Amino acid sequence: MFKTLIPATLIAISGTMAAAEEVHVYNWSDYIDPALLQKFEDQTGIKLVYDVFDSNEVLETKLLSGSSGYDVVVPTGSFLERQIQAGVFQKLDYSKMPNSKYLWDKIKERTAQYDPGNQYAVNYMWGTTGIGINDEKVKEVLGADAPVDSLSLVFDPKYMKKLQSCGVMMLDAPTEMIPAALRYLGEDPNSKDPKVIEKAEPVLEAIRPYVRKFNSSEYINSLANGDICVAFGWSGDILQARDRAAEAKNGVTISYHIPKEGALMWFDMMAIPADAPNPSGAEKFINFMMDPENIAAASNYVNYANGNKESQKYLDKSVIDDPAIYPPAATMDNLYTVTAYPPKVKRIVTRLWTKVKSGT
Amino acid sequence: MNLRRFILIAVPYLWLVALFLVPFLIVVKISFSSAAISMPPYTPTFSLTQGWAGIENFFSQLSVDNFVFLTQDDLYWKAYLSSLQIAAISTVLTLIVAYPMAYGMARAPDEWRPTLLMLVILPFWTSFLIRVYSWMGIISDQGLLNQFLMWLGIIAEPLHIMNTSKAVYLGIVYTYLPFMILPIYAALEKMDDSLGEAAVDLGASRLSSFWLVTVPMSRPGVIAGCFLVFIPAIGEYVIPQLLGGSNTLMIGKVLWTEFFSNADWPLASSVAVVLLLILIIPIMLFQRNQQKNEEAGR
Amino acid sequence: MAQAKPKIVFDPWNDPKAKPLIECRGITKRFGDFTAIDNIDLNIYEREFFALLGPSGCGKTTLMRMLAGFEAPSEGAITIDGQNVADVPPNKRAVNMMFQSYALFPHLSVWENIAFGLKRERASKERIEERVSEMLRLTRLEKFARRKPHQISGGQRQRVALARSLAKAPKLLLLDEPLGALDKKLRQDTQFELMDIQERTGTTFVIVTHDQEEAMTVASRVAVMNNGVIMQVATPADIYEQPNSVYVADFIGDVNILEGNASPGPDGPENAVQIHYAEGEPPVRAVANAPIAQGSRVSYAIRPEKISVGFEPDPDRANHAQGRVIDIAYLGNVSTYRVELPGGKVISATMTNARRLERRAFTWEDEVWLSWTQTAGIVLES
Repeated sequence: MFKTLIPATLIAISGTMAAAEEVHVYNWSDYIDPALLQKFEDQTGIKLVYDVFDSNEVLETKLLSGSSGYDVVVPTGSFLERQIQAGVFQKLDYSKMPNSKYLWDKIKERTAQYDPGNQYAVNYMWGTTGIGINDEKVKEVLGADAPVDSLSLVFDPKYMKKLQSCGVMMLDAPTEMIPAALRYLGEDPNSKDPKVIEKAEPVLEAIRPYVRKFNSSEYINSLANGDICVAFGWSGDILQARDRAAEAKNGVTISYHIPKEGALMWFDMMAIPADAPNPSGAEKFINFMMDPENIAAASNYVNYANGNKESQKYLDKSVIDDPAIYPPAATMDNLYTVTAYPPKVKRIVTRLWTKVKSGT
Repeated sequence: MNLRRFILIAVPYLWLVALFLVPFLIVVKISFSSAAISMPPYTPTFSLTQGWAGIENFFSQLSVDNFVFLTQDDLYWKAYLSSLQIAAISTVLTLIVAYPMAYGMARAPDEWRPTLLMLVILPFWTSFLIRVYSWMGIISDQGLLNQFLMWLGIIAEPLHIMNTSKAVYLGIVYTYLPFMILPIYAALEKMDDSLGEAAVDLGASRLSSFWLVTVPMSRPGVIAGCFLVFIPAIGEYVIPQLLGGSNTLMIGKVLWTEFFSNADWPLASSVAVVLLLILIIPIMLFQRNQQKNEEAGR
Repeated sequence: MAQAKPKIVFDPWNDPKAKPLIECRGITKRFGDFTAIDNIDLNIYEREFFALLGPSGCGKTTLMRMLAGFEAPSEGAITIDGQNVADVPPNKRAVNMMFQSYALFPHLSVWENIAFGLKRERASKERIEERVSEMLRLTRLEKFARRKPHQISGGQRQRVALARSLAKAPKLLLLDEPLGALDKKLRQDTQFELMDIQERTGTTFVIVTHDQEEAMTVASRVAVMNNGVIMQVATPADIYEQPNSVYVADFIGDVNILEGNASPGPDGPENAVQIHYAEGEPPVRAVANAPIAQGSRVSYAIRPEKISVGFEPDPDRANHAQGRVIDIAYLGNVSTYRVELPGGKVISATMTNARRLERRAFTWEDEVWLSWTQTAGIVLES
């Protein structure tokens, strides 16, 4: 949350002209190949002001306050859904964005549940929420037959108790954790029924004492430098940790696993705020990012899958063939999605989460 | 009243009205609203376009539901209590660390004092966040402290300090230390050296001279320092968020959750209003203490 | 002046059998390169009211702080009541000090301030009550017992400080510029009060002051200090009338100093001497304390009040000089005339104003005669 303030150095790439047209983009941190930013400026002559966040909540608050000053923002699907209801966004004019023809149907189908008809947003990246492990340490603690590809690794106190010694972190995001706990129980992860949702509480409370911290960004570093051995987090982040550890040559090897019970599939969506100062610049940026080569470069850089079918030609083999990034069809079918909670249920969800975290 | 005088008085008041009173009134107003899926995410919003009817309509829609809700869920008062407790413990710890430092500074040779004072103030010149992040680098499991202790062979396993309440106390003590040192130092520094000599001359040992004279003399500084640490520590958010574990329950975090996670600005506002009401008590005590000191000041 | 009753003379320093309460033997105190006190020997007797007088920086405060125990001498030994106090810390000495700033504890009431020392020696409750009441009575502070120091006047604070330092009935009370913070009128009243209290309690007082009038008023003996050295120790009258050096003569009161070559005689009493102080002026006829060698360089010190001013030389006095009035300082009871001799030398003479102002005899530019007796001044060998 506040962590953004440090790495969020406003990557304002200096334009050539002083009074040049500007487009302000607000995206997740560590979520693009910086070379693309320069490329966009060179191609369009528009000065790109690129700012980053690391929590949907921060983004949402800025959007709901109005006059955020951003032209393109990238909320996650379930947040997008709620924001559309609040009237935050303007409809996209696809005629101005010819690259939209490259979008991947399979993904469009799924994002339509947040944004019926995909009227307001197009997919930027998508990924799964799963388990990242430090291979050696987990083996050391649990032995060779550790259920690393199962939710029971993180939701069964039997394992968690042992993993506690080498450190476990989980996302501080009830909208991720509660569906996962429900899935572990065999319930509908997308349930909006408070009675069903409450079933997640004992599961989470049972493992709570063994979780070092609930946080949505620190686990990348902690996993990479060996401070923790298990993280329940976002696929690309864990893969990033994997790469960082490999670069550091610190003897840590990280791997990402999509639980066999199924994993949450999420979508980060590019959208244009209703009060965007430069909507046409925003369209140009979105169109630029829908260019198959460009979005492929981004995916190659951040290890996340994108919603652009055509781009798959340009993806590195290590990306397109990594089942952790582009899961095979069978796994794909096992992924689930969740939609936004109605306000009353949302309160129950966050309250439950607070109770789990703090014991109150 | 002449114009100059009027301006002199008006400027600070305008400042207060513009930067404290108006924002606070807005927060109070929001606290009586209800959450909604809209921009901004609450109703009613104040609009003069409908004239008097609009204003009437606005007031009729305000409610105290949020304040009632705060009493119904034990989360809130537990968070308030926990914040008070953490703030109180931190204050005591800060005092324990700060007093010897302030005492040492006040007793240091005159020519050293500006340097020592500067060393206390110097950290303020660095971003608070960077300093907190440095602590993360020091106390994390693979951090400098653990590496050092393990290198010395004092410990075999890293100490878990990071993400525990110990780290929160460490962070608060570190961050607020100057607020405690400076008033105590100011009190001790203006203390006449001959008071201590007089006590010794009258038969007190060095230690009892310290307890009977130095400590009571520094009391106003200690009280001021305690308030300066206690009051902001209650609402502290960044330190528990960055250094603390998930189970560190503080009202600042609850407020954050209401505001950001639930997007329930009205409830978040009422949490803030109640927090301010709670803070008013120590703030008023602090003011009284300051006033008393001024009156007794020689 | 005729004494109404015979008074027993208090002068233990003249009694070779008397044992001093305080003996300083060869005391030297150095702070780094700076020598604050230079090889001082000093005896102070019981019941004495002893003044250390000197300009600031002369070492008087350092000497006092060594008596209190806050400083240790670099060399030499201090004995108090026969005991070498080198290893006795200040809180174990039967010596109390009244600080220049008073050093009253601001958080304690007057009563508690006075009781502070008694509580430290774990006196019984009754004893403390009794002793504090006694001190409050002595210093007339009964009404202010419950007040805090900042709620009383400067004079009252001074008395609290005195009461507090006397409460433990010390053998020796040190007073560091005790009256420095008071205004002139209050200071004079308080001087007499201090003397009264000193007499009533029988405590030995050592006062440090830079105010010569104060020292002369209160003290039984005065030590004049300069640059870490004691110049003279004597009774106030001796200090005034028999200064042993130009420094002391000049430091205490007003004095005219005439420098010249001495020649004995020509007639008159033993050790009579003539001092040739200026071309064209008759030599001053004086009497030295000891024989003076022919032609030795001497200073002649004469107080202004010993010189009379007249239109004619006074035939009863041995010395005369004619000059012109250049300045008159009217002080009410007396007037000081500054008279310039033809050689340019200016001499001050003080006359009592027996008459009203308009009838005054001399005025500016008047040619007058100064006359003084042979024994009026002091001959100091340079």
